[in-house]
Amino acid sequence: MSLERKDEHDHKGWMESRELTPIESVYLTVLVWLDRRLRVVDYLEILEDLYYKVNMQMPKSHTEQYNLDNKFWYWYPLYALGSFSTVAYIVAAISGALLGFYYAPAAAAADGSPTVAYDSVMLIMGQLNLGYFLRSVHRWAAQIMVAAVFLHMLRVYFTGSYKEPRELNWLIGIVLISLTLVFGYTGYLLPWSQLSFWAGQIGVEMSLSIPLIGEWVAQLMFGGFTLSQATLQRMYILHVFFLPFITTAIIAVHIGIVWMQGIAEPH
Amino acid sequence: MTEDQPAGTEGGSDRRDVVVPLRVYKAVTVFSTLFAVLSVVAGFILVDVATQRASAPASEIDVPVGIAGIACILAGTVVYAFSTRFRTEEMGKSKDDAT
Repeated sequence: MSLERKDEHDHKGWMESRELTPIESVYLTVLVWLDRRLRVVDYLEILEDLYYKVNMQMPKSHTEQYNLDNKFWYWYPLYALGSFSTVAYIVAAISGALLGFYYAPAAAAADGSPTVAYDSVMLIMGQLNLGYFLRSVHRWAAQIMVAAVFLHMLRVYFTGSYKEPRELNWLIGIVLISLTLVFGYTGYLLPWSQLSFWAGQIGVEMSLSIPLIGEWVAQLMFGGFTLSQATLQRMYILHVFFLPFITTAIIAVHIGIVWMQGIAEPH
Repeated sequence: MTEDQPAGTEGGSDRRDVVVPLRVYKAVTVFSTLFAVLSVVAGFILVDVATQRASAPASEIDVPVGIAGIACILAGTVVYAFSTRFRTEEMGKSKDDAT
């Protein structure tokens, strides 16, 4: 048995068996020549085969079965919000990794002059090629992710997609939206600007206002009761180490459960 | 199987049909469409370049490039139109295949 792929047709043979005009035979010869070298058709045939195999396994959806599309179609765009937030997360991850090459989480120079962290952000914004663009992409991705995650939650709520057997995924979603907000908050503090600093102050005071465990939470999250290098460093490690691992893992579980259970259909 | 529909037969239709094997029909469809799309797009790009996006005064139009662009568009059209004469078994009007 030869490994060489067998040709389904003896091109020369059948072409001679027909009365083709010279232009037609040249045309066909050229296209067959291209076909035998580029194999585009083979790949398209694989895709076609895949398409039919995938679709053969799909039962009629509930909306198709009961012909609900005419009443429900305007919800369909909102079913993209979950994917949309995932895409925003990936964009933020990539741009954030690149920003990490230039950012330094140091709050030195407490004598009133700008800190190392703030200076590194200024360097990214002012000196670095495409730095302004990079930080803008990261910021917008973050904003969009928060918005998309929130709207995704509204969609799930108003279509009743959280109902049995999907309660667990709803709860995981609650955890994810919280983690998204923590992501946003920790990233907000990283430039160590006035805005960041006083947002951090608010965070410390909010932690301290928690009954019983407030002081412990402030110590754990902010590294003390006043803002310092420890605060910035904790925010940095939360933002670039803890949260990425935890959030990525939970997103994987979240999407995995959707994959297993299927998308909730309207009733 | 040779020359399935001689030119000019059947109700004044002078379309020539050439029946080819399915695999060849696929190759014809894929590659002629690919070529037609690419050459039409390339033609428009050339015309754009020649006329500076249709903003150049008549004296500054680059005539050879403009003609090359139009030729590209025409070539794509001709190739596509030519490809429509090929078909495979069981395509087209069933009564044609029955004979």
